[in-house]
Amino acid sequence: MKLKKYLALTRAGIMETLQFRLSFVVMVIGNLLYLIVVYFLWDAIYESAGTDVVNGMTFTDTLIYLVLATALFNFMEMYAVWEIGRNIQSGKIVLDLLKPMEYRKYLFWSYSGSFVTQFFLTFLPTFIAVALVTHGAIPMGINLLYFVLSVVMAVSINYSIDFIVGTICLYTESIWGINIMKQVIVLLLSGATIPLAFFPDTLRTVVNYLPFQSIYNAPLTLLLDGAPTAETVLTTLGTQLIWCIAMMIVSKLFWKVSLRQITVNGG
Amino acid sequence: MSAIIEIKNVSKEFKVLNRREGLKGSLKDLFSRDYKTVKAVDNISMTIEQGEIVGYLGPNGAGKSTTIKMMTGVLEPTSGEILVGGNVPYQNRTKNAQEIGVVFGQRSQLWWALPLVESFKLLKDIYQIPDEKYESILKLYRSLVDIEPLLHKPVRQMSLGQRTLSDILAAFLHDPKIVFLDEPTIGLDVSMKAKIRTLIHALNKEKNTTVILTTHDMGDVDALCRRIVIIDKGKMLYDNDIEHLKGFFGSYRTLKLRIDGDMQEQAKHIQKELPEFSVSADDEWISVLVDEEKAKVIDVLGKLQHSYNIRDMQLEEISTEEVIKKIYEEGVQ
Repeated sequence: MKLKKYLALTRAGIMETLQFRLSFVVMVIGNLLYLIVVYFLWDAIYESAGTDVVNGMTFTDTLIYLVLATALFNFMEMYAVWEIGRNIQSGKIVLDLLKPMEYRKYLFWSYSGSFVTQFFLTFLPTFIAVALVTHGAIPMGINLLYFVLSVVMAVSINYSIDFIVGTICLYTESIWGINIMKQVIVLLLSGATIPLAFFPDTLRTVVNYLPFQSIYNAPLTLLLDGAPTAETVLTTLGTQLIWCIAMMIVSKLFWKVSLRQITVNGG
Repeated sequence: MSAIIEIKNVSKEFKVLNRREGLKGSLKDLFSRDYKTVKAVDNISMTIEQGEIVGYLGPNGAGKSTTIKMMTGVLEPTSGEILVGGNVPYQNRTKNAQEIGVVFGQRSQLWWALPLVESFKLLKDIYQIPDEKYESILKLYRSLVDIEPLLHKPVRQMSLGQRTLSDILAAFLHDPKIVFLDEPTIGLDVSMKAKIRTLIHALNKEKNTTVILTTHDMGDVDALCRRIVIIDKGKMLYDNDIEHLKGFFGSYRTLKLRIDGDMQEQAKHIQKELPEFSVSADDEWISVLVDEEKAKVIDVLGKLQHSYNIRDMQLEEISTEEVIKKIYEEGVQ
């Protein structure tokens, strides 16, 4: 019964996204342009490298990885920071705080509807297109199950990070700079813009200890690795789970402390 | 009757950074720890009974919103106690939220892109309103206002009046014990204002919901509130019946006269004749502010009739608006 009130938010979210048909067209065109740039950029990189395999990845590998990363980004990115920031600035947050629901959950479930729509309308078509075009370069097996599990946790980690950054807006009352910074850091260190295999060794070691790589690198690695060993699967999913829980706790506590600060000092 | 809101000696202080002037000052401010304390609400106490409609008035920046935010649990008082329906709001915000409804005239809690009925369904699930209760309240709404055309209209296509009406209906949907209405009639036309007032009145009657109403429109107050509370600069100035308010500055009435001859000249004569009252004149009327504790208006009129040729007369009650204006400007002696 408890779940019902959350699913109601999901439902409303789906309906709300579907209201704006045109935005899909715009998004698809924007993505196509981005992917064309990516194609020529990496084409040039491989051309100048002079070999077919760079850092253990062929041109096709890299491209598949990046196309799927973009698709993943489209459905995972929820711009929660903008939303929190805007709500704080406009004072609308007061209305949200007065819902009989934790704000963290309220916001997440409000967004969940757009996850569902974006998954079906952008990620899935891209995925199928890539699978068809590359004639089975994406292995279809148990790895799909790992991938789904991994994406669910990635969504949660991504949201927690967004929420933490959004909470910072309570103090700064400005959102733009913080949000851009967050976006750049997450996209770079998560392997969404450049596959982690291309990172220098030291940086890669550091990145492996950070939560960001659990967002894009982990699910994509599980998906594209044809025959992952049980060990790889367990460590990847295990690391994700740990980050998932850790970030959830941190974001929850940080929000609680911050909100107390606000209720004491006013906003 | 039982107390639904109890506020005891509540104060709220904010820390504000002392800003300096100019570019240099702005740079210094970046590192400044120089805070000053501002008392937004200063030692306020009141008790509100279940089912009352209370007008909560005060000039801009008087501390009204701060008080409301404390009652809803968004802000924690610096000192003093607040109990809303037996809960301490800021400690138990989620539980308190189930018991209250809020309308901020400037903002909407409805889902912008969706038809109103979807927002209602969503609120039904969020507040976990049982089916039969939901149906019965919709039935009540149908009997009070013509909501059918609104239900299937996306909120973003509504006029401000329709949206406000919808927001009020949404706030009452989960049958809260208390509804806070913050300037609900702001920016609305006369007929919409009247509609909204009737609606609030009917919902209060029907559901025995306590309504706390802040407004700058005295029409709202006259139409809805039996009791009003006035605060200014964080301090409580007045807490009593609205009838009582009119006698607040003595029982004054304004007698307006139109007399043959030059108004200004005649006014001076009358002033001599009636030294205890203030007499003023404009191009059309001579106004005598009569304190009814000293003399009856009818006696004053009789006295003047002997010596002047009165062509026309009017008797004016001092309006709520004038009293409030006087209180805002002069405070309470």
